[in-house]
Amino acid sequence: MAQLNDDAQWVVLMGFIVSFALFFLAIVVSQSTVVGQTTAEAVLEFPKNDILNLRSEVLSASKLLFSDNLTRVQMDISSIALSRKSAIVSFKVAPALPGSPYTKTIDIHYNNGVTAYNETTLF
Amino acid sequence: MVNAAGQLFTIEGVAAGLIMLLTAYIIVGTTSLYTPGDTHISDMQLEQLGNDALHMMNTPNTSAAASIETPLAYIIRTNDTEQFGQQFLWFCNNTTGGTNDNIQFSADIYYRNNATNSVNHYHLSESRIPSGGEQSMRVTEWVLVDNNLFIGANMPAEVDNRYQEVLVEVLLWRN
Repeated sequence: MAQLNDDAQWVVLMGFIVSFALFFLAIVVSQSTVVGQTTAEAVLEFPKNDILNLRSEVLSASKLLFSDNLTRVQMDISSIALSRKSAIVSFKVAPALPGSPYTKTIDIHYNNGVTAYNETTLF
Repeated sequence: MVNAAGQLFTIEGVAAGLIMLLTAYIIVGTTSLYTPGDTHISDMQLEQLGNDALHMMNTPNTSAAASIETPLAYIIRTNDTEQFGQQFLWFCNNTTGGTNDNIQFSADIYYRNNATNSVNHYHLSESRIPSGGEQSMRVTEWVLVDNNLFIGANMPAEVDNRYQEVLVEVLLWRN
């Protein structure tokens, strides 16, 4: 075996550079599918539309209905949400505090085991 | 002619390169997830589309008064199954250009019986009967319906005649 010589160092260097470049390109390509999937799963998991929809219905129902009619609608929402949406939902409509410029206080509670949403609103 | 000098350096370089590649692969691999397939992306888009369509139908045509009935509430109260299908597919299948989309749906209404406190449902309408093999998404919309007889309510007889909150459930899929 001959003594070590330091020829061909450019070949080694280019080998390093090319292999690292390929490696990082491969990472970029492989991540591109994962990015879309995890985003989509996060969007599917989060009940944004449920909560917005529920909130708008609660507000219009509390504006429109009183006493027994309102109580029945409250029970409609709680029962159907539990059986069809696997979500515990309740809301309460009370008069606003004396001296307040608003007429009603509304508490909304929503919990589907993954996302909890609680709100107190005045109108 | 090829110069065969310095081969030992080359071999050493290749070996070192492999070791470094392996290290980098392990380090990067521990923090990222590799999952095949991306079917959820189209599911997410379909769900959002259906929710938007239902929400458009459940928006009053005017902002005049809070008690204005929404088109969807009117459709449910009068049990106008044809109108539901037309409106829903119109919102879902329209595109900004080219041919229309090809979304099919099947809709049910869930309501609560006040006397027995049970949740029941009836079928509203469908554009095609699902076979069970579709990649379908479920979208829902809460609707406040005034099912009182004196304003011409025409919901199925088993539904209470009162102001009530019903849940519209729509299965939709591309065909």
